[in-house]
Amino acid sequence: MFCLSELEDTVRVPPSDLNLPLEVAIKKALQKLFLDKVLSIGLCVSIYGIKSIEGGFVLPGDGAATYKVRFRIVVFRPFVGEVIAAKFKESDSNGLRLTLGFFEDVYVPAPLIPTPNRCEPDPYNRNQMRWVWKYGDDEFIIDDSCQIKFRVENISYPPVPTERAEDAKPFAPMVVTGTIDDDGLGPVSWWEACAPISDDED
Amino acid sequence: MKNIIVKANAGALTNFEVLDLLNSRGASKDTTRVIASETVSRSEYKVYDYLMETAASTQTRDSVTKFSDKCKGFKLAKAEILNIINLRPSSDVELTPILERPDEREIDIEGILALVQELLPPLPTLEAHKENEQEETEDGEQPNMETSV
Repeated sequence: MFCLSELEDTVRVPPSDLNLPLEVAIKKALQKLFLDKVLSIGLCVSIYGIKSIEGGFVLPGDGAATYKVRFRIVVFRPFVGEVIAAKFKESDSNGLRLTLGFFEDVYVPAPLIPTPNRCEPDPYNRNQMRWVWKYGDDEFIIDDSCQIKFRVENISYPPVPTERAEDAKPFAPMVVTGTIDDDGLGPVSWWEACAPISDDED
Repeated sequence: MKNIIVKANAGALTNFEVLDLLNSRGASKDTTRVIASETVSRSEYKVYDYLMETAASTQTRDSVTKFSDKCKGFKLAKAEILNIINLRPSSDVELTPILERPDEREIDIEGILALVQELLPPLPTLEAHKENEQEETEDGEQPNMETSV
């Protein structure tokens, strides 16, 4: 789910931070620059550590020092095939949207919901559609009652749109597509009845 | 913004390692944290909150390294071991979606589950439930105690 990436960038340390120890000041600048941002490698979560600092140039006309910094960063970049536990966010006729708390652009499109299924208006929320999986005579509703496990199918980084429709959703720079169409995936409660191994067995 | 990605993948991290990193920065469940978050940013706290609900919150460095060492005997891919540590499956049906084509590869599922049971502590929610139950029973007993006192 998370991995380390090594980056190199030139960082401007504003004069107000020059009284701090250099590493602290640079870390502060890096956090401002990268945290909670999506690069082509994933969502930057946390600065792991600084490897090297070079320079300290003061550019003409600028009161700040500029350093060339090599550092490592913790990135959220799930791999394809990884199983992740998420929470339900919303659902409509196109599929489900799940959230991890810090990342909310996980989509499960309709074809990746276990079949046979049906989509019906949610009796508790009229703005929403809810999905029901039919298994034999039983019906399983997908709602926000428990965690939902999904398997990563694809990660995409859509290009920034040049024009935006007025009713468009907020732009998401990183979209994870997941599937819940397999044994053990989907709401955790679906599979709770399947016997967990107990201590007596070993 | 120009930045050069030197190494896009410098190693995968388990959820536990990320949580450990945030803990070492002083992240906590403290209520005053929103005001005094000099070292840990708000987005990092979102990650922290997510991780505290996963199996990572009860794991220790010792249990994770021991588990990944012992897993080497099971012909698992690194990513699969990582995923098992992150999710801590406790039953067959939780483990199989993590593995790629487990039937063809003849993987000892029972053995892995036993190892998980032995080395990785249970999920925090399960423990919390048990604690709640205990508290409830204690609460139920307490009124009697009080009246008798």
